[in-house]
Amino acid sequence: MEKTLAKKSFPQWIKKLGSWSVYIPRKDKEGRWNYVEADGGEVGLEVLQTTLPPKKILFPQREVFLEFAMTPAGGRETLEVKEVLPDVKPTVIIGARPCEARAAWLLDKVFGGEFRDVYYWKRRDQTSLVGFACTTPPSENCFCTSVEGSPHSEEGLDLLLTDLGDKYYVQSLSPKGEKLISAAKDLFEEPKPEVKKQVKAAHAESEKKIKRQLKDARPIAEKLKGMFGSPLWDEESMSCLRCGICTYLCPSCHCFDINDEIENSSPLRGQRVRTWDTCQFPDFTMHSSGHNPRPDKAARLRQRLLHKFQYFVQVYDKFMCVGCGRCITLCPVGIDIIKVLDKVRENGA
Amino acid sequence: MANIEDLKEEAKKLLREGKVKYIIGYGAGTNGWPAAPLFIKKHEDVDKLVWNPTCVHNLVRFLVDEKRRKARQKQPDKRPVGIMVKGCDSRAVVVLLQEKFIDRNDVYILGVSCGKTGVVDDAKLSKKMGGKKAKKVEVDAQDRFVVTTEEGTVEAAAEELLAERCLECKANFPVIYDVLSGEKTKRPLDKPFGSLEKIESLSAAERWSFWKEQLDKCIRCYACRSACPMCYCDECVVDSINLAVTADTTADEKAQRIRWVQRSAESSENLIYHLVRAIHLAGRCIDCGECERACPLDIPLRFLNKKLEKEAKELFGYEVGFDSALPALISSFRDEDPQDFIR
Repeated sequence: MEKTLAKKSFPQWIKKLGSWSVYIPRKDKEGRWNYVEADGGEVGLEVLQTTLPPKKILFPQREVFLEFAMTPAGGRETLEVKEVLPDVKPTVIIGARPCEARAAWLLDKVFGGEFRDVYYWKRRDQTSLVGFACTTPPSENCFCTSVEGSPHSEEGLDLLLTDLGDKYYVQSLSPKGEKLISAAKDLFEEPKPEVKKQVKAAHAESEKKIKRQLKDARPIAEKLKGMFGSPLWDEESMSCLRCGICTYLCPSCHCFDINDEIENSSPLRGQRVRTWDTCQFPDFTMHSSGHNPRPDKAARLRQRLLHKFQYFVQVYDKFMCVGCGRCITLCPVGIDIIKVLDKVRENGA
Repeated sequence: MANIEDLKEEAKKLLREGKVKYIIGYGAGTNGWPAAPLFIKKHEDVDKLVWNPTCVHNLVRFLVDEKRRKARQKQPDKRPVGIMVKGCDSRAVVVLLQEKFIDRNDVYILGVSCGKTGVVDDAKLSKKMGGKKAKKVEVDAQDRFVVTTEEGTVEAAAEELLAERCLECKANFPVIYDVLSGEKTKRPLDKPFGSLEKIESLSAAERWSFWKEQLDKCIRCYACRSACPMCYCDECVVDSINLAVTADTTADEKAQRIRWVQRSAESSENLIYHLVRAIHLAGRCIDCGECERACPLDIPLRFLNKKLEKEAKELFGYEVGFDSALPALISSFRDEDPQDFIR
């Protein structure tokens, strides 16, 4: 389904989604963009990149799996365990970048494969993604076109909106998308025939504006297979601080840890929770024996790149990188994944 | 302001003669910020070194890595590493020497003076340039910043773009060095703790709500800890590796190990993490501002450390990182030290 929506009607449409949780990017006091619940108020839709991608809505940093408690019953203690499933009302993320939706589409593969992650899907099934084609690149380090994405890619999106000056061109890409349109049918119009041409031109133009490029991503993925023991990882990780910025703020990174958080030890009461984890932390997948499979920074940088550009490609035939450039922009020491992969390509060539 | 050309000859000589293992300096960044840390092993690469007001990073952090690397090697190369330090960074070297974390022979210090300016603040720079990316930032003869973008150059008074910490700088040239580039001119410093005035004027309730809001943003990426040259503990209290497991360790012992701070990024846990870090930096923080710069969510962490720096100064007359022969604040006492807080 394809429609147009006048820009002046946009706030009315959001109002019509009153029964939904609506997330939109908002600027905080420090001037950083973040996805927050709209709760009425202004809905500005500049082309921008939030610090945290909308991953946090689908895959929150902390998720309670179950609650447990020891209760004295008739002189004997019994352990009560209660499963906690997310209770989510219909949610819509408005203003998602196409790369962020593409990352959600990759997460769907991870959490929906052989083992279906019920916690993830409880949220995912209720969530619709409304994307805006990036008519200008939201970051100077955008490189989506190098990793099989584009500033107007459709994967993971339910609606794709393209800015045409006074109106948006609205492409519905799923039944969820159609539902969003039918929530305010009267606001949407049938597109005039010439509009399609305009959209095509805008999309083509947007691709040209991407400044950064990672050449030959597929051949690099192939080459990485023989580079596990390369000294390159040592050299490239010298300046790494071993913080979690590149992974925590990555829209497609999804490693997690599960811990029991004890609230009270006697009588025992607590929760089992899942929290984000990252291959960049020194205790990531540390064995209880004390053995650490990735003992240094080199091994950790290698893990991040190989997961994204080798292992994931082998399993899903996709890159686990959508080219948003956050890890490049936000790295405090300027480690640049494009530059590191450039060196992989040139290595031994 | 120092001139990098002054240091290049020395750097080449050090590498050519094998006097240092490698040099930690600044080179060109590729991610939109003009400078980035650079590690040079070969004298032919010395020309890649740069020095300009975007050299914000405190490279002393990498001496901690070097020590760890050496500890893992069976036959470690005992030669020193060369390192470029600004005034503030040099004070971090002093603290590491004071605490005997490193030895003076472990480092060859290439000092750079910030002269009458300092380094730029990324947020101020980005605001000034209206989001346009700076390709280059230089200092002119009048100590004004000259910023070059794709669209030309813009000039700005130093005060407009300087990092907050530079406005309160106590050491605009290195306090310890083997070679120095740039002048040893003192800068007037009228309000050494000026940045704290606003927050100190708030009531306890207002401060609580300020910090609650700020710390609730924390995602515990630990960039603040990781960027800090003083956060060198092998096992950090927040990591889950603080249990030595042997063949005799029971499953119960593993399960019951004390976790001081939970992994969940929640108000209580975030507060404990940041307070533990702040307290551990009391009398040690040299105000390089790296924690705050590294924070992807702009939590004003410098306030916490600056406040403790002020306490150390007012209560004990102690200023961090000027004399490596002095005992550290936490490991020394004097009879005249105030005791009225002991009840």
